Amino acid sequence: MDEEFNWLKYSESIEASAQEEEAQSSRRGLRRFLPRLPGRPSLPSRPSLARLPRLRLPSLPRLSRRPASTSGQPSAAELLGGQQERPLDDLDDRLRALRGRSVVTTQPANQALYDVDDILTSPELQSKPGGVISAAALSKAQQQQVEMLRDIVGGPEQSQGTGGRRELPAFSLSAVPRLLGRALLVLVVCLPFVSSDYAEGELPPAEFHEDRPGPTAFYNLLDNISGDDTILVAFEYGPTAAGELDLLAELLLRHIFAQRARPLIVSSNPIAIVHAQNIIRGINRSLAGADAQLLHGEDYFLLRYLPGGALGLRELSQNFADVVRISAKGLPTGLEFEALDEMTEIVLIAESAEAVRNWVEQVLSAPGGRRLLVTTGYAAQPLAQAYADSMTSIVGPVTGIRDAFTYGEKLAKNFGALLPNAPIDPEAGPEVLPVNVVSDSQAELPRATEAQIEVAPATALPQPTATAPPTASPFMTATPPPTETPLPTDTPAPTATEATIRAVEVISEQSVNIRRGPTTVDEILGLGYQGDIFEVLGTNGDGSWYNILLPGGVRAWIAAFLVEERVVTASEFAGGQASASADAPPERAVLQLDFSLRLSKNRPRFYQAQPPTSGGGDRPELILSRDRGLEVPRLQAMTLGTLAAILVIVFGNTIYAARGLMRRRNSQGS
Amino acid sequence: MGRGQRYGIALSAFVAFAVGVVTALSLLLGDNPALFGEQPGSAQLAGLLALPADVLLRLATIVVALSIVIGIANLLTVHVGRLARGKAYSAVMLASFGFTVFWYVARQGDTSLLEAVQVPIESALAALLCLSLLHGGSRVLGKRADIWGLLFVAVVVLVLLGSLPLAELAPVQAWRDWLMRVPVGAGARALLLGIALGTVVTGVRALLGQDRSFRG
Repeated sequence: MDEEFNWLKYSESIEASAQEEEAQSSRRGLRRFLPRLPGRPSLPSRPSLARLPRLRLPSLPRLSRRPASTSGQPSAAELLGGQQERPLDDLDDRLRALRGRSVVTTQPANQALYDVDDILTSPELQSKPGGVISAAALSKAQQQQVEMLRDIVGGPEQSQGTGGRRELPAFSLSAVPRLLGRALLVLVVCLPFVSSDYAEGELPPAEFHEDRPGPTAFYNLLDNISGDDTILVAFEYGPTAAGELDLLAELLLRHIFAQRARPLIVSSNPIAIVHAQNIIRGINRSLAGADAQLLHGEDYFLLRYLPGGALGLRELSQNFADVVRISAKGLPTGLEFEALDEMTEIVLIAESAEAVRNWVEQVLSAPGGRRLLVTTGYAAQPLAQAYADSMTSIVGPVTGIRDAFTYGEKLAKNFGALLPNAPIDPEAGPEVLPVNVVSDSQAELPRATEAQIEVAPATALPQPTATAPPTASPFMTATPPPTETPLPTDTPAPTATEATIRAVEVISEQSVNIRRGPTTVDEILGLGYQGDIFEVLGTNGDGSWYNILLPGGVRAWIAAFLVEERVVTASEFAGGQASASADAPPERAVLQLDFSLRLSKNRPRFYQAQPPTSGGGDRPELILSRDRGLEVPRLQAMTLGTLAAILVIVFGNTIYAARGLMRRRNSQGS
Repeated sequence: MGRGQRYGIALSAFVAFAVGVVTALSLLLGDNPALFGEQPGSAQLAGLLALPADVLLRLATIVVALSIVIGIANLLTVHVGRLARGKAYSAVMLASFGFTVFWYVARQGDTSLLEAVQVPIESALAALLCLSLLHGGSRVLGKRADIWGLLFVAVVVLVLLGSLPLAELAPVQAWRDWLMRVPVGAGARALLLGIALGTVVTGVRALLGQDRSFRG
């Protein structure tokens, strides 16, 4: 391997690469990757820069480009040029180009590039519209060369008389649209903070949309923790993302504290740990009594910083006992955990996609039934959503300020009923879901016991009390789901005192199709057999199709003439389903497998949590003491700012497109 | 290049290669008793094989932590040197550093300076990014007036419109949701695949000695 740097070879390679680039520039698009045909006539060469007329005119002062030598410290190019231990061929293009700059700048600028500087800075050419490039009528490749030469020759001369200080460019009218756009954005963003008359847009709903089961499962999981639980909370965001994620982080911490669980806060970002401590101090300030204050070492723990990024997270995963023993201040915590699996939940608050990826790769990849509850900023949302759709061990993501607002509304609603002076409805039972919330992939989750899975269908049935109609469940939102299928008609509320549900039983001797929509052209989700019983959610407009609920919480449709409507008790419903499964014909196992494959193929394998069994935790004051502050104006400012951004982008691009068309027309005319 | 320097290069390359191979084998074989079957002592053997990777990676973690301390010391040294050359900004930086340390010690661990100074400044810088993005977005067609530029602008406008909480824009929101779920989701997965492949390639290059960044 060539360890010595050979300048002769280097210059030859530079020339060869330049020739290759020139050859490729004449073969644009996919043609560059095709073999060159032999004997193909070469294109006529364009006029080169050396053939330009030599003008001897006084130079104008230009923007300075300070040479590296004036700062007393070598530039990156000079540092790279001094490196000799790596063969030149190993360098990628950018590093090679940077190194090439160091080679050129070591020579006197005007020695090899004589007269170029004068040409570029001549007042005649500079005064032309479009500058020197349009005046010389250069090709695009030559324009790039001119720009490169402008950069190279501009160095030594511009530091004269300025002491190395950059000069500010003169004000130009072309900057006016840019300033106007920025001023418009800043103005409209400030309006909601000044007056409530500019409250544009709807506030986020009080419940997460049912099309997004991840955030709902996230909330339910945190609402099901208790005082014996320990939650690992990863603060993976710095001050840059504080405006976006602070509200969400505070709500999550308040939720955990209100459930009397203990958060262990950890981070691979040292500043984030300090920031988390300040958030908890803010929570303490909102609490009235001194006896209600949250104490480090009792109510929460700040664990030591995890250096090394992914390496630190691996250490957390593999050597959790060591990590948990030391606090952020280097003091012993007194915690005695042996493994990360002892954490009830792991909550990740991440600002970047890289943080999400590191946690998934280093923490979730280890054996153990770990589950990661993910909250992110908007930048990391696509990656987190891809993970959540693919892995049932990832719950969420809850994203940004709008989801934080919804989360806060849910907390206030559920914990507000626990206030001592709140009106108590004696008939109001615990909130339940009208749908079967057991995931089709819960068998993969070790924390979900078999008993829970067996009991879930019965507990998920609508309660026959008049105070708990199906529409009152936390999964229901006021906004209808964006589906093309007609919505089922309202299901009549059960009136019997015994727990009953409205169901249909398959009466056809042949297998019947269960479809995604109430037409025969809709996709077949699976098959039903004689004796199968499905819970009814409603019917279509003319009653020819039933909207039913499949095991796993999937909504589907079945033709009415193939089934018989019945009202069954919960036990009959569960028993009917069990007997139907037991009596299934041999070929049905294959069909069921196909059914499950279809489901897993056609929809994300998200995790669905058990609904909370109680309305809230033991310390509602932690939720209700929160100062909403400028939460609502911030959301309205986001709306107005987005509108202004759309206007500026559309207007600006329209102007540029029109100008380009006019130029093209003028050039064609001339 | 002298003979000693060549030996040094060869030795450092060998050490890096050996450590890399040992770590990789230890990670692959360690803590996996199933590889050795249901035999007595297989668990102990698997644990023993996992030990080198555990030790080496923890050493790397310690070195990274130590590098932060070295980085702080280097920062102070550089700015002291700049201060000697009359750079005023370095004086501000050194004064801020000293004041922060003094504040933390004198007020017994008070970290309110982070919330009062660092968070507003960094948040403001992040907000400035919005202005730059807006400016760039408004002149896309000025820089690239072709079908791809037009497509880019259309998608940006569609996503922004879909993010507006206005009931009148429900159809646009459905399109925006589709964009975020299908193309953006595909892009996110492609990024993950690319990162994984790039990581493997980088590791192999380091093991083969083609990438010798460990020499600084």
